[in-house]
Amino acid sequence: MDQGLNRRSFLKLGAAGSAFLAAGSSLTLLTGCASNDGPAAGYRHFRQQDVDLLTPLVGAVLGKALTDVGATAEDGMKAYDDLLEGAMPGTRATLFQILDLMQLGAARWFITGTWASFAEQSEDELQQTLAHWSTSERGLSRMAFKGLTQPMFMAWYVKPEAARSTGYPGPPQKIVA
Amino acid sequence: MQDLSSLPIKGINDPWKTGIKNGWDVIDGRTVSADRTLEADVAIIGTGAGGAVSAEILTQRGLKVILIEAGKLMSSDDFTLNEGQAYRDLYQEGAMRATKDAGMTILQGRTVGGTTVVNWTSSFRTPSETLQYWRDTFGVESQSRSELDPWFQKMEARLNISKWIMPPNANNDVLKKGCDALGWEWAVIPRNVEGCWNIGYCGMGCPTNAKQSMLVTTLPSAMNHGATLIHSAQAHRLLIDGDTVTGVEVRPLNNDKVPTGATVTVKAKTVIASGGGIQSPALLMRSEAPDPQGRVGKRTFLHPTTFTFGIYDQEVAPYYGAPQSLYSDEFVFKHGVDGPAGYKLEMMPMHPGLTGALMGGYGGDARHEIERLPNLASSIALIRDGFHADNPGGTVELRDNGEPVLDYPMNDYLLDAAKRTHLTMAEMHFAAGAKEIRPSHAHAGYYKSWQEARDAINSLAYDPVITGVGSAHVMGGCAMGQDESQCVVNSDGSYKYLNGLYVIDGSVFPTSLGVNPQLTIYGMSARNATALADRLKA
Repeated sequence: MDQGLNRRSFLKLGAAGSAFLAAGSSLTLLTGCASNDGPAAGYRHFRQQDVDLLTPLVGAVLGKALTDVGATAEDGMKAYDDLLEGAMPGTRATLFQILDLMQLGAARWFITGTWASFAEQSEDELQQTLAHWSTSERGLSRMAFKGLTQPMFMAWYVKPEAARSTGYPGPPQKIVA
Repeated sequence: MQDLSSLPIKGINDPWKTGIKNGWDVIDGRTVSADRTLEADVAIIGTGAGGAVSAEILTQRGLKVILIEAGKLMSSDDFTLNEGQAYRDLYQEGAMRATKDAGMTILQGRTVGGTTVVNWTSSFRTPSETLQYWRDTFGVESQSRSELDPWFQKMEARLNISKWIMPPNANNDVLKKGCDALGWEWAVIPRNVEGCWNIGYCGMGCPTNAKQSMLVTTLPSAMNHGATLIHSAQAHRLLIDGDTVTGVEVRPLNNDKVPTGATVTVKAKTVIASGGGIQSPALLMRSEAPDPQGRVGKRTFLHPTTFTFGIYDQEVAPYYGAPQSLYSDEFVFKHGVDGPAGYKLEMMPMHPGLTGALMGGYGGDARHEIERLPNLASSIALIRDGFHADNPGGTVELRDNGEPVLDYPMNDYLLDAAKRTHLTMAEMHFAAGAKEIRPSHAHAGYYKSWQEARDAINSLAYDPVITGVGSAHVMGGCAMGQDESQCVVNSDGSYKYLNGLYVIDGSVFPTSLGVNPQLTIYGMSARNATALADRLKA
């Protein structure tokens, strides 16, 4: 496929994806999936439905980054929540919009290629979903993959213990009198 | 193995603690719960390179200045070298800022001192080619290189800018080795440091006060000359009476960046917008400032920056040492000023959080990749954007709650440049002795030879989002020049459609620069703030 054709098909899918996102958001509002009861217990920003949706995904994306230091998917999810602390309200609202959308099986199918929620997938199935999703040619899928997974890595590896597990010895000791 | 983790940093005087004790007038917006009104000769919105330089010059001339800053006051005692805390406290949107389609991540400062607190200290004069293009294309007046050189000289002296004399760290040495082997030019980067410890934490707030950021130079000087600083307080709207600016409506923010509910009204006959690219145009848009041609927020540029990882047999420790000390301009004007986009080559420091985010991927492969961090060198290519009809830049939009978001899709013109940068950087890494390289592309793997890398890069699909691009240089959005079809600010910084309003920051650049922007902002701001002081004192 030549570059021009690639670009054109990408733009077309991107536009379709945006329309889908808009329609899906309205649908989640109508069906009550976008209910905002405030943050889940133990979290400052993520709501319970986000924690249920994303924790298995965090476990699959970070994988050995967590287990190598004896951490769990929940630890990774809490780190993600900490990262959101610095974000502006509008940054978080954009993230919640895509999370609300992904409460819908049809949206998960459109974005990740798999209808089932992440919690219903085995470890192998999750890796297959990620393999498919990360190579998708859909604009919305690409945005969602990068938008959701990139912060997971940043959130986890800024934690001092995780940082040291990369071979980075850590920063000098700042001592304030 | 390099290990600085037991190096103590102690005995550093925090100039802000001392200054506040000695009577500096600092208002913490987080503590403001009742409405109040302040008055000054000049209100300056933003305390980064543009606002702080202006504040020093105006206060030295006896003018009463109020500085308004959305970010918090953080100083050397607060700089703990914790990467996560730095992103949360010192960066726009907690370092989660990105373009609207998530195609480019944007690192931009948000704290007292602005991006100067977190930049990597590279200080270049504006290329004369860029300034000539501005004169020819946008009608920018009196800002040729020879006219600006005295201002650059002044700011270089003020901020102790000189070529780095220490040997480069291993990360930067890759650039030298690669360029030498290929016959490409390279040179030493001038840095704004004094007594630098060479530890590598410029991006987290300098813990030793060696970096001559605004936090330790122009801002303390302005405070000593009677300026008032209100931080943790967002300039929400300009106050406008007819065709004249009369002040600023300021909303103090709590620790969560949410308005406390109070309003601080700052009355001033002269207002300077110095919020930088994205924030300054957003302020004008929220204020519904007159903009008859609809140009505010347009022509926003980022130096879209690609990167390429190289894995080396010997330790690189890309997290330690002066982050940027060598550069190559071999490709910056290779195709002229306005042809296919040129790019500047530099290296970037790699701490684990940023590294993880840039590597991306998932699962076991992602883990394996980051475990090689000590042996990783990371080159970057800053693409000169804005010099071609096919590259009009991004557009600042407002979210429903008034926060800005930048819509800047990577189009074919930029994606073509991204591909060329990857080829260049792959060749450079292998010439420097890399065992494997990986370009910043979500579908790229590690390649073990220049031939393999070249073939792979040539067959990758260069599409938005999957092509890994970031930015640490937000420029434009309030273009300067006489051409009213494109520009909203005159060459002296005055806003074309309101009396009393000036824009003095990087948002006035009508294109990107082709070099890291801080010295350009310092020099132009010093020039325009001095002329403004002359007018106000006349």
